[in-house]
Amino acid sequence: MAYAAGVDVGSTQTKAVVLNERREIVSRALIDTGANVVLAAENAFAEAMRSGDLRDEEVEYIVGTGYGRYRVTFGDTQITEISCHGRGAVHMFPNTRTVVDMGGQDTKAIRVNPTGEVLDFCMNDKCAAGTGRFLGAAASALEIPLGELGQVALRAEKPVKISTTCTVFAESEVVSWLGKGKKIEDILLGVHQSIVSRSLGLMRRVGIEREVTFTGGVTRNIGVVTVLNSMLGFSVNVSEESHYMGALGAALFAMDRIQARRSPAEVVAEKG
Amino acid sequence: MTDTDPIVGRGAKEGAQLFREWFQTLTEAPQRGEQAAYVFVMGSLAEVLRAFDFHTVFPEINSLQTAVRRVAHTYLSTAEDYGYSPDICGYVKADLGMQLRGGEHPMGRIPKPTLAVYTNACNTYVKWAEIWERLYHIPIFTLDVPGSRAAGAQTWPGHPDFENDKRYVAAQLRELIELCEQVSGKKFDIDRLREVMGHANAMSRAWKRVLELNQSKPAVFNAVTDGTVYLGMSNGFRGTAAGSQYFERVVEEMEYKAAHGLGTLHEEKYRLIFVGVPCYPIFRRFSEMFAEWGGSFVSSTYLWFASGGTDLGYEYDLSRPLDSLAEGVLINVRHAMDSMFFQDQTLIDMVGPYGVDGVVYHPIKSCRTVSTGLADNRRRLLETTDIGSLFIESDHMDKRVVSEAQLKNRIDAFFEGLATRKQLAAARG
Amino acid sequence: MAPQLLDNWASRPVDELILLCRELVEDTDFPTVKRWRAAGGKVVGHFQVYFPEEIAHAAGCLPVKMRGAPIEARRAEARFGSYLCSILKTSLELALGDHVALDMFVSHPICDAARNLAAVWGRNFSYPCQILYLPQNANSRHSATYLRDEYDRLKREIEKVAEHTVSDDDLRRSIAIFNENRRYLHQLYAIKRETPWLLPADEAYVLMAVGGLIPREEHNELLKAALPQIEARLAKPQDRIRVVFEGGFCEQPPLDMLRAIAQSCYLVDDDLLIGLRWITQDVATEGDPLFNLAQAYLEKSTYSPVQHDLRKPKEEMLLRRIRAAKASAAIITAAKMCEPGLDEQVAYSKALDAAGIPYFVSEFEESMTSFDHVQIQLETFVENLLFA
Repeated sequence: MAYAAGVDVGSTQTKAVVLNERREIVSRALIDTGANVVLAAENAFAEAMRSGDLRDEEVEYIVGTGYGRYRVTFGDTQITEISCHGRGAVHMFPNTRTVVDMGGQDTKAIRVNPTGEVLDFCMNDKCAAGTGRFLGAAASALEIPLGELGQVALRAEKPVKISTTCTVFAESEVVSWLGKGKKIEDILLGVHQSIVSRSLGLMRRVGIEREVTFTGGVTRNIGVVTVLNSMLGFSVNVSEESHYMGALGAALFAMDRIQARRSPAEVVAEKG
Repeated sequence: MTDTDPIVGRGAKEGAQLFREWFQTLTEAPQRGEQAAYVFVMGSLAEVLRAFDFHTVFPEINSLQTAVRRVAHTYLSTAEDYGYSPDICGYVKADLGMQLRGGEHPMGRIPKPTLAVYTNACNTYVKWAEIWERLYHIPIFTLDVPGSRAAGAQTWPGHPDFENDKRYVAAQLRELIELCEQVSGKKFDIDRLREVMGHANAMSRAWKRVLELNQSKPAVFNAVTDGTVYLGMSNGFRGTAAGSQYFERVVEEMEYKAAHGLGTLHEEKYRLIFVGVPCYPIFRRFSEMFAEWGGSFVSSTYLWFASGGTDLGYEYDLSRPLDSLAEGVLINVRHAMDSMFFQDQTLIDMVGPYGVDGVVYHPIKSCRTVSTGLADNRRRLLETTDIGSLFIESDHMDKRVVSEAQLKNRIDAFFEGLATRKQLAAARG
Repeated sequence: MAPQLLDNWASRPVDELILLCRELVEDTDFPTVKRWRAAGGKVVGHFQVYFPEEIAHAAGCLPVKMRGAPIEARRAEARFGSYLCSILKTSLELALGDHVALDMFVSHPICDAARNLAAVWGRNFSYPCQILYLPQNANSRHSATYLRDEYDRLKREIEKVAEHTVSDDDLRRSIAIFNENRRYLHQLYAIKRETPWLLPADEAYVLMAVGGLIPREEHNELLKAALPQIEARLAKPQDRIRVVFEGGFCEQPPLDMLRAIAQSCYLVDDDLLIGLRWITQDVATEGDPLFNLAQAYLEKSTYSPVQHDLRKPKEEMLLRRIRAAKASAAIITAAKMCEPGLDEQVAYSKALDAAGIPYFVSEFEESMTSFDHVQIQLETFVENLLFA
C-alpha cells in the first residue's frame, strides 16, 4: 500500500494529511507554524507519521502547499493552495462549485469544475479586512477569546454597522462603539457582517455557483458561518476538516502522481 | 431690517426648490423623448448643449447627493462588486452604481446619456466617459483645453501661444457642434447660441460679485455649505434665464446682508478659506465642527474650479460668438485647472482683502486631481505667510475613510492655535 | 558631441553587457547623467509616459526619463498626501535628494496625480518646470497642428535652457537617430516574442531601459552589438506558457518581480516603459520635422490607459497584442493607487472574459520586495492551464 502526503504551511498553522490508495485519510496533524517554517513543515509531517503509525518510506509522494510551500524541503513538488483548496473541497463535497477560503491573513474565492480544477479565482490583496485578522483585532479590542466570538455575535439583536475596512482602525471603531454604549454582541455581529460582506465581494467576482464550500481556519466561527448562510440565502458546506482542506488537496495531487507513475493497466485495475 | 427679513435665506430656499425641480425634469425627460448629455462641472459646454436643447446631467452632482443623503455606500459597493478598486474616485463609482440600477437616485431617476461631453480638466473625466461608452455605445466627446504650462506662465489673447491654444479649442468646438447636430437631428442656430451665452454672461457677472461680497465682515455666506447650493445652481442652470436670475437675486440678498452686517454665525471669530472638496458623507457635521468655534468659511477654491472657472467673471462677446466661446472656454477651464494646481499665490493674495485668519486644506482620498499638490501648496503658504493652516484628510464620498473623531481632534487643535495667535497679536497691540 | 557615457562595453560579451545595463538601470545615483554634466552637458528630465526626446536631443541636451526608483521618499513624502502612487514621490525624491540634477523638468498630464507634479516640482526648484500638453483629444482634425505648435513652444523653452537654437536640420538628424533606436527596440521585442527562450524578460528590460539614461547614439551602438549575440544564443525552448504583461506603462514593477514571473512562463509582450517605444514606425524626416513628430504621436503609435483615442479602444488593443504575441494568458496589473491602471483593469477583465482568455489581476509597487501574491496566482494559472 502506498501513501501520499500533503503538507500545508500556512502563516499561522501548518497541517499535514496522509492518504491511502483509496484516497481515505489515514492521519492528519496540525501545529502552529511559528518562526521556523522549515521545522514546522517537518514537525507536522512527523506528527502525521506518528499518529498514523507510519514510516516515512511508506509515503511515496509529498506535495507542499500554502504560503510556505517552498519550505517543505522534503517535498517532491509544490502546488498552490488555490489549486489544493479547490481539489480538497470537491473531494470532501462533490457538488462543490465555489470555494471560499478565509484564513489568517488572506481570503480567496475559487470557482471549480466537477473534477476540482480551478476555473477562476480571486484573492484579496489590500489588507486583512475580509480575513481572520479582522476578527482577531475585534476580539482583542473586546477582550473576548477568539473561540467564543461567533456564539457571542449570534446573541445580537441590533447589529452595529461597522464602516471601517481597515483592520488597524477596527480596534478603534470597536472601542468607539463601546463608548457609545453599544452592546458587545451587537458590535461583534457587525464585525462578522463586515467580514462576510467583504468576502462576498470577492466571491461575486468569480461568480457564485452552488454548492458553496467554506474552508479555512475561520470556519470554526459559527457566527461567520451563520452570517454567510444568511447573506447567501442558502447553506454553505462546512466540514470539521475544513482547515485540512489545503493539505487534503495537496495529498490528492500527490496520490495522482503516484498512480500516474504506475502502468496504465495497473491504474485501470485500481479504478475498477 | 433684521435676519428675519424674507430676503435673508432666500437664495438657499430658492436654490433648493429649483434643484428639486431640475431633478424632476430629468426624471421626466425620457417620457418626453428628450435627450440628455452627461457633462462635468469643469467645462460643461452648457452653452453649446443648451443651444440644441440637451438636458445637462452632472454625474458629479448626482454622486455627491448620494453622499449627502447618506446612501452612497450602497452605490459604491455595487461598483466595487463590479470590479472597481476602493482607491479610485468615489464619484465614478457612485455613478456606475446608479447606472447599474437603471438610474435610480434619491432625488428621482437619472436619464441615460445620449452623449457625453467633457474636458481634460480632470483626467478621470476621460476614464469615466469611457465607461459610459462601453455601457451605452454613445458618442463621447473630449474637449481638450490646454492649461497653464507653469505657475504664472498664463498667456492671454493676442499672444501667439494663446492663439495656438485657442485655435485648437475653436476647432474642437466646431466638431462638437457637428456632433450635436448629428445626435439631436437639429440644425445649429447661432442666435440660440447667443441667447444661451447671454444668460451665461449674466450668471458669471453675478457669480463673481457674490464671491467678492464675502470680503464683508461678517461674511455673508458660508463658502462650503451655501457654496454647494450655489455650485449646484451655477452648473445645473448655466445658460438659462432662471439661472442668471437666481444669481442676480443672490447678489441682492448678499448686498443686503453686507449693508446690514448680517453674517452666517452667531459670532464670527475666525475667517477661513477652504481648499479642496467638502466632506459630503458627514456634510452638516463637518461644517458644524468649524462653526462651533466661530469659524466662518469666506472663500473656497472649490467655488472656483467647480464652477468651471466662471468665478473670473469672463463675459462672452456676443458679436463674435464662436470665437469668443473658444476664448472663454479656454480662459475659464484653464482657470479651473489653475485653481487646483497653481493656487498658492492666489491664496496668499486673498489674505488681506478677505481678512483671512486661516486656511483649511482638505485633501480627499479619491480625488488626486485636487489633493495631490495640497501638502506642498501648504508648505509654500507656511513659508511665505504666518497665517494658520490645517491639513485634514478624508473623502468626498466614502464614509469608510472618514473618521469624525480624528477630524474633530485636529480641527479643535487648529482653533486653539488660532485663538492663541489672536491673543498674542492683541497683546502686541 | 555626445561623449561616451558607458565604460568600455564595446568588446564585452552580451551577458556582461546585460549585467552592466542592469547595474546602471538600478543605480539611483545616475552616474551617466553625472558624467554628462561633468562634460558640460545640460539635462532635460521628463516624466512618464511619452516625451518627444528628439527635441531635447536636437538642442544638445540629454533627455533623461524620470521613472521613480525603489528608494525611500522621505523628503518627497512631506510634499504629498496619502493615496498616491509611489512613482510620483520617488521621482521627486531623486531630484530633492540630489540623486540626479536637472536643468529643466517636463511632465504631461497623463493622470490626475501626475498633473500636479510640475506645480510641486516648480515650487521646489528654480529651473524651468513645465507641462507639455500633449493632445487629450486625439480625434480632432486639428490635433496634429495643435501639437506641432505645442512642440514648437517646448522647443523654444528648451533652447533657452540649452542656449542653443534648434534648426529643422538638427531636428531631422535627431529624428533619424531616434528612428534607428526605435527600430532596435522593436527588434528586441520581436526576439522576445518569437524566441523568448533566447531573451528573458528582465534582460530585455534592462537593455531597453538603459536608453533613458544615455545618449541615444550610444544606446544604438549598444543594441547593435547586443542583438546579434542574443539571436545567436544557444538556449532551447522550454514548455512554458506564453503570457502578456499589462500595467507597466508608468510606475515600473521591480526587476525581481519580472524575474519571478519569467521563472514560470514566457513573458512575450508587455507595456513596460511603453513611452520609449510609443512610436511604432519611422517618423518622416523630410518636410516639417515638428509636424512629423506630432503626427507620429497621434497616427503611428501604440496604446496605453492614459491616452484616449476613439480609434484605439484599450481592450481591443490588448486583445490584438495578445493575439499577435500568440500568448495564451495575460497578467493584468496596476501600480498601487494608479487610477488609470485600476480603471482599465475592469475593462480589460470584462473583455478577456468575453474572449475566453485566461488572466489574473494584480497590483504592484516599485519598492516591493516580496512577490508571493503574483507568484501564487501565476503558479495556479500554470497548474490549471486554461480556464473554461
